[in-house]
Amino acid sequence: MSDTLRSIRFALIVAVVCSFLLTAAAMGLQPLQERNMQVDRQKNILKAVGLVSAEERPTAEAIAALYGERIRCLWTDQTGRILAESERGTTDLPICLHVDNNRIEDYVIPINTSGLWGQIQGYLAVSNDGATITGFTVFKHSETPGLGGEIEQDWFQRNFVGKKIVNAQGQFSSIGIAKGKVAAGVPAEKAANYVDGISGATLTGKYLSAGFRRILADYEPVAVQFRKDLLPKEHLPLR
Amino acid sequence: MSMDTKVHLTTTFSEPLLANNPISRQSLGICSALAVTVQLKTALVMGLALTFVLSFSNLTVSLLRHYIPRNIRMIVELSIIASLVILADEILRAFMYDVSKQLSVFVGLIITNCIVMGRAETFALGNAPLPAFLDGLGNGAGYGLVLALVALFRELLGSGKLLGWQVVPQGFYALGYENNGFMLLAPAAFIIIGLLVWLQNTIAGD
Repeated sequence: MSDTLRSIRFALIVAVVCSFLLTAAAMGLQPLQERNMQVDRQKNILKAVGLVSAEERPTAEAIAALYGERIRCLWTDQTGRILAESERGTTDLPICLHVDNNRIEDYVIPINTSGLWGQIQGYLAVSNDGATITGFTVFKHSETPGLGGEIEQDWFQRNFVGKKIVNAQGQFSSIGIAKGKVAAGVPAEKAANYVDGISGATLTGKYLSAGFRRILADYEPVAVQFRKDLLPKEHLPLR
Repeated sequence: MSMDTKVHLTTTFSEPLLANNPISRQSLGICSALAVTVQLKTALVMGLALTFVLSFSNLTVSLLRHYIPRNIRMIVELSIIASLVILADEILRAFMYDVSKQLSVFVGLIITNCIVMGRAETFALGNAPLPAFLDGLGNGAGYGLVLALVALFRELLGSGKLLGWQVVPQGFYALGYENNGFMLLAPAAFIIIGLLVWLQNTIAGD
């Protein structure tokens, strides 16, 4: 056999063996990984509404139980109505509700927007007044660790709590990430609509602000329902 | 086994720990040393992941060293390394999900870490499996050691924490002590590595 043929044969064997091993590993570990991802998403929703704090490390079972008890994931349409899975149309948006004895405490919006290096995915929870942010969490991103990657850190996310998605007049204004500290660079009347930025991650902040503006605008109809307290008290598909 | 071989095996493992450390002596693998050393935990896991990849890639390349055709040896080495890196990443995502999220792309980037390819080329291709494996362990540990040391300083001085636990007492902050934000940026890692190299060269005396 010529050298070339021998090389090709060797390369083929290596490629087949490697892909076989990797496929086996990926398939074997997939159930565990998917479970991890699901638990992580549920934990992030619970963190966004303040049911789990950043210091707590609850078990997967505890997360699933709390999630099943307090969180309802439903849909909302362009008029801001809240719909069950069965009533869902193709253009409706997903929304999760934090409920306590059939009373809606907060609603949770999935955030999925581009960052500097890749998609940023997380949850923004807004109180039932349709204006005040209860929490923000990130469960997936590709930002630079230590810089833009700080969006997943507690110190950054804590700054969202109590901020408003409406201006002083009650009109929609979204939430933005300031360049530097809010106290230093944002006028007082807008301070409630901005959180402290991350030094070294101006672009991540810019992209995230743009994402919030776009997504919150999409969810404005349901926010209006909450703000004006128009949602029907009964017949909400909470069960 | 003769006495000579034993000594040889020990030094194969111990030499890259300090005397011939891949980062501080050979300036290899600097990129990831900058990226994952903001926190001690990520640095330790990264050190373990690289040690896993390096020792098993060395072992595999050494086992195959008489069969790998010379003209495609680098591609073969790279396939083996890449497979091991993906495997490490999959295992982390299954069993240490939180850490794997923090390490993000850097586990995948072990593929491009010069240490791994370097040891395969310069050591594993010409040595028996056991020394090759030990060489991988030693170089991985040497790399992890420097990473941990750099991360120790960066997390302590940059966030006042170690492994996520607050170690700088709140009283210090009350007295006006501040975390050094510069430590969280990549240039800080450069400076610490530079100081380590300087220290080692001074002690080694060359």
